[in-house]
Amino acid sequence: MDVNFRKIDIDAFDEEILQESELYEQDPRDPAQALDEMKQIQGAVRSCLAKNDTVGALSAVLEHAPYGPTMEDAKIVSLQALMTILNSTKATEIPAAVKSLSQDSQDTLMKYLYKGMAMTGSADTNASVLLTWHEKLTEVAGTGCIVRTMTDRRTV
Amino acid sequence: MAPQVFSIAQTPITAHAFSADRSQVAVSLNSNDIQVLSYTGSDWTATETLSEHDKIITSIDWAPTSNRIVTASQDRNAYVWQQTPDPETGKVVWKPTLVLLRINRAATHVRWSPKEDKFAVASGARAIAICSFDPENNWWVSKLLKKPIRSTVLAIDWHPNNVLLAAGSADMKARVFSAYIKEVDEKPSPTVWGSKLPFNTVCGEYASPAGGWVHSVGFSPSGDVLAFTGHDSTINVVYPGGPTVHIIRMSTLPLITLAWTSEQTIVAAGHDCQPLVFGGSEAGWQEMGTLDDGSHGGSSGPRSGPGRLNTGAFQAFKNADSRGQGATSGDTKLNTVHQNTITSVRPYQYGSAGEVSSVSTSGVDGNLVLWDANSVTAITGRMAGMSM
Repeated sequence: MDVNFRKIDIDAFDEEILQESELYEQDPRDPAQALDEMKQIQGAVRSCLAKNDTVGALSAVLEHAPYGPTMEDAKIVSLQALMTILNSTKATEIPAAVKSLSQDSQDTLMKYLYKGMAMTGSADTNASVLLTWHEKLTEVAGTGCIVRTMTDRRTV
Repeated sequence: MAPQVFSIAQTPITAHAFSADRSQVAVSLNSNDIQVLSYTGSDWTATETLSEHDKIITSIDWAPTSNRIVTASQDRNAYVWQQTPDPETGKVVWKPTLVLLRINRAATHVRWSPKEDKFAVASGARAIAICSFDPENNWWVSKLLKKPIRSTVLAIDWHPNNVLLAAGSADMKARVFSAYIKEVDEKPSPTVWGSKLPFNTVCGEYASPAGGWVHSVGFSPSGDVLAFTGHDSTINVVYPGGPTVHIIRMSTLPLITLAWTSEQTIVAAGHDCQPLVFGGSEAGWQEMGTLDDGSHGGSSGPRSGPGRLNTGAFQAFKNADSRGQGATSGDTKLNTVHQNTITSVRPYQYGSAGEVSSVSTSGVDGNLVLWDANSVTAITGRMAGMSM
């Protein structure tokens, strides 16, 4: 049976198609500018971690998290920076760190946890570390936080 | 007062609407028919079946003053039902009138305007049909609100001035439109939403930060404040002056229906199976508690507070996973009154000051429940109940 008709992009014939870009406000930064910013933050994260300031390091990444389809390079750098923090935090310190984040940052952290789980094996992701963080974050922010990760189109 | 629970069916209740005196209720049990039930002192019994739609009915509204029922369905039609004597037997029956909606997708939601001379039908055709009666031709005609809707409209609510309409849509926006019909409406006086209001004026467009389908919208009793709930587990309250938008991010599953009970309180419910109460003013809003204190639900044994996790079903899978036990004799009932998603919450009774004193809810579990809107219990142990 000829199934080639299934490969036709029918959306191309719909003039009123809802574009992905219309669903959320774009990241105001230029991709190159965001990449520079994330590299600086990566440095700031290292100095925070040297001072044992987990919350400061987390906030630095989460509050400037790049999103949108044009930010691929900056996203990788920010994920690496975040993984450095997650991997170097002791399990007993996670609940306190998660609690002191703002609700926005908690939601963004959940996005990174799922992104990390989707990319295990690269960018220093470690499944067992991610699952520990996921458990502690869900205890604080609830299932609503996971729902927001699923609905939010501003993917990190 | 303990909530009154009526088990109407084993199937989901897609919509419910009470008559003005609350002695009758129209429900759709996930089918093509509407059942009209009458209260017999202890329970609801079916007295009439209204059959005309040929696909699932999505929404019902019962006009209190003119005693007319309007129904919307996936068959892209709406019918207005009116009680008239049957010409042969003389018996009073519900007679349907077809409405020319001119939409090419399912109708999703329908509501009478406050004056009952118009109704609005939301649809999957990226449009809202505003319907008014044309006495010359003796039928209901519609005018479509189209711009700038980009996706299915999921919920609508009328402003008390009979002209403005709020709509929540799957394009993640809640909007306020003018549904002014020259032949029907008098010129509306200016409101906080605007003063010049020709048909299809967009008076406001709002979204919550994390997006998500807007499942339900509602004007406050004065019409000066708009609330909407989204699939990102938030409830948003909009004061159009600034505009000031208060966002409550919840730790639980999304809310899909809401009803204002006074200018300062909202009852909202959804996938978490319990009606929650929110309160506040222009200065700020917060979650006040729940109408379901967890003591009337189906589950016996130790309670961990209402909530969907750590229930019997969850435990059964957990035991199967961690101990290799099969699901043998698990208690699969939730300790909330509703055993599944609540899909509709509506005002039931009004107090002396015009505030809503009790609300009715119906949901996927086939239960219809009446709640005292003032017996709010603080939420305790819910987070404890969510431990994994």
